[in-house]
Amino acid sequence: MGRRITIDPITRLEGHGKIEIFLDDAGAVENVYFQIPELRGFEKFCEGRPVEELPRIVSRICGV
Amino acid sequence: MAKLNLALYWASSCGGCDVAVLDVNEKILDIAAVADIVLWPVAVDGKYADIEAMEPGTIDVCLFNGAVRNSENEHIAMLLREKSKVMVAFGSCAVSGGIPALANFKERDEVLKRVFMETPSTVNPEGVLPLTRCEVPEGTLSLPEFYKYVHCLDQVVEVDYYVPGCPPTPQRIWDVVQAIVSGNLPPRGATVGATEKSLCDECKRIKQNKKVKRFYRVHEIIPDPERCLLEQGLLCMGPVTRGGCGAQCISANMPCRGCYGPLPGVIDQGAKYISSIGSIMDVQSPEEVESLLETIADPAGTFYRFGMSTALLRGANR
Repeated sequence: MGRRITIDPITRLEGHGKIEIFLDDAGAVENVYFQIPELRGFEKFCEGRPVEELPRIVSRICGV
Repeated sequence: MAKLNLALYWASSCGGCDVAVLDVNEKILDIAAVADIVLWPVAVDGKYADIEAMEPGTIDVCLFNGAVRNSENEHIAMLLREKSKVMVAFGSCAVSGGIPALANFKERDEVLKRVFMETPSTVNPEGVLPLTRCEVPEGTLSLPEFYKYVHCLDQVVEVDYYVPGCPPTPQRIWDVVQAIVSGNLPPRGATVGATEKSLCDECKRIKQNKKVKRFYRVHEIIPDPERCLLEQGLLCMGPVTRGGCGAQCISANMPCRGCYGPLPGVIDQGAKYISSIGSIMDVQSPEEVESLLETIADPAGTFYRFGMSTALLRGANR
């Protein structure tokens, strides 16, 4: 059975991320999964908002 | 004096609060001189496992920004609460839900469907949605559970202080840091980094006669930069919002959207604003009330722009 290395959270970037690295018996990388454990849903909650307000709403997608 | 242990965390957020901390500029070196930063994902390399390994109370102060949108946000909030002597809800999202809490106007499943199936840039013919557990050949992967409702921080853990703002301004952040370092904090539960009076109190615009015959959307008029925006029919939240932000929006001739939150003693900023504009509407009959209200494009989204987690009316999800 190989090893599993979890990097959580990924740091020094905007947003949330997690990396799962699976090593084989020899210690070589077998597979890597990059996951994004966040969602806010601007795509949905901007619906119904006045268009002139959107610059002040969607600027909060990323404030970095 | 021993250095303080400081943690800064973002839950469901945009990172603007973290950047606002960096916007204290060279004073960040003064912060580094008196505090070790044990976690700050945007800027330094702490991991959750490092925090889990700490004894309770190891962290002196945690500045927690972002709303609680999913189970990871809640888990980290509980973890940091356990390890921190002082927990600060930092910024509008942690204080009252902020922009992410606008999703409380929508059903949870509608959000997922829109994002993962319907947007024009999405190709997902099998309708795959994120799973909290996913079996892969090498093992099990996990993702947080996407909650039905967007919570603010004090709905999941005990909060000691509140710093409002979207984001809090750097000057106010510096005031808060100095208060923490000197131990000169007010009683627990207080809002810090904001004034006890309304934004109108620090607004320099001329206020004469609040009688509004119709409301305008911001693109429909060019407001007089000297006069009260509300008197000109723009829905400025100043009367029901704490001051302390430096009046940045109204200085740019744009109405306040209320990010510094309700005044002391007010539990629902949006309801207070409805009461406030009700008293300035220049109307004589129910029909005139109706037609005046029709000039407000998005009452709920405007009055509760930053406060849907704490609104008395709980939106679509409760």
